[in-house]
Amino acid sequence: MASSDKAPDTMPVGDGTVPPGKPLTVGHQVIDKSAQMLQTLKPIKQMSQHVCTFALYGHDMSRQIETHHYITRLNQDFLQSAVYDSHEPSANLIGVEYIVSDRIFDTLPSDEQKLWHSHDHEVTSGMWVNPGVPEMIQRKELENIAHTYGKFWCTWQVDRGDRLPLGAPALMMSPQIVNMGVINPELVHLRDNKFKISTDELRKSRANIPVSKPGNARVADYWMHTGKCFAVDIEEGDMKKEQGELKVVEGQKFP
Amino acid sequence: MSSTSERNGAGAGKNGIPAGKPVSTGQQILDKGAQMLQSFKPINQMSQHACTFALYSQDMSRQIETHHFITRLNQDFLQAAVYDSDDSDARLIGIEYIVSDATFEKLPPDEQKLWHSHAYEIKSGLWIHPRMPEMIVTPELKNLAKTYGKFWCTWQTDRGDKLPLGPPSLMMSPQAEGEGVVNHELVTKRDEKYKMSKEDLVKSRIEIPEPEWINPMADYWRQHKKCFGVDVESTKMKIETDYSIYS
Repeated sequence: MASSDKAPDTMPVGDGTVPPGKPLTVGHQVIDKSAQMLQTLKPIKQMSQHVCTFALYGHDMSRQIETHHYITRLNQDFLQSAVYDSHEPSANLIGVEYIVSDRIFDTLPSDEQKLWHSHDHEVTSGMWVNPGVPEMIQRKELENIAHTYGKFWCTWQVDRGDRLPLGAPALMMSPQIVNMGVINPELVHLRDNKFKISTDELRKSRANIPVSKPGNARVADYWMHTGKCFAVDIEEGDMKKEQGELKVVEGQKFP
Repeated sequence: MSSTSERNGAGAGKNGIPAGKPVSTGQQILDKGAQMLQSFKPINQMSQHACTFALYSQDMSRQIETHHFITRLNQDFLQAAVYDSDDSDARLIGIEYIVSDATFEKLPPDEQKLWHSHAYEIKSGLWIHPRMPEMIVTPELKNLAKTYGKFWCTWQTDRGDKLPLGPPSLMMSPQAEGEGVVNHELVTKRDEKYKMSKEDLVKSRIEIPEPEWINPMADYWRQHKKCFGVDVESTKMKIETDYSIYS
């Protein structure tokens, strides 16, 4: 069945738009505007940071993407983000990333830790940026993020040409200083031009950001220690039986 | 805007996430300043809040109330960030994608198995847009009734996980019979919160047309009595490109 590291079955190309579909009508806009006025959308209003960075597919680290995180800080040790493939209004929602402090990370069992990645290099290298925010204002937050670990599920592999979200989620890894973790300089260059920043300059100014001290037996960035990665497989199986008799009755309505 | 009181206090927050030090006031001021300098264009496109229910594919007795914050990208496609409540401290628990029937029919069959239909959820009044008059949402509901969804849950808060653990779970939609029936108490609790009645909605939604046909590959459990579990397996890395020149 579907696996995150296997290309999905093909589907018709159509006009090539991602995702395929007819443009919105005026009617849709009326609904949207009414909703925005009448609904409170509280969780969304908590999104307080836009971060642009890079991520790599765990099972194939030559596949690297620029990502746009819209982040909510739930407390001093935990952040959650909706991840997009661009910062434009038409951006595709491509995944979710959770971020925890090293203190919280150390409470996770080692099998869980293997699914997570570190952020210190991503921050100190200048990959992780808050577009539009001067470094000085962002500094404290960067020092915090440099001590965190992330878990990032990508649910839409737009970079391989998927016009729709196909297959299983993929586990993503973070940029690192060594071999396969290095981000293609072309990608960084493109990003820098877009936001008129210089990742090189940021790296210099961030050289003195303290990074996480190696924790006892931390197993993040699993690929770096083992040369192995994780593929996500979907398996068909028997449904779990509820207590008592299992009944699936077509057409019969229950109260 | 977020209130300062939500980020104070050590110990577990009311949403159960282990909390450390509170955020200092000085830091909060800096954070607000930074926020004002940025644009949030994809987020500004999230225009609708819908509340409904979902069931874990691998164990349909586990059912959750979900809060979808939805962006419509075009007439045939919507994407939603899914939360476990509509409060400011809501936890982001997954993503749902929604496609029109026309788009769904173009998906390969193995892909279709991962999707679920929405017709029952809409007609039965389980799917609501809190605080929106039905009259305004009816055109959208007519569209949604013919759609299919794919929902990955990345944080199983219903089983008490204080942090997002393990692989994502595939979620299914409420249906009229068997394991697809949503626990009555869950629905009552939700209806009381929003001061509405599912029964009234069933009546007012009689006019919403049922789809003529629901693809049998969707809601795979119904006809095939099978569910989908997600496994994370250790495997050898694919080594394609030599980046050693950059080391």
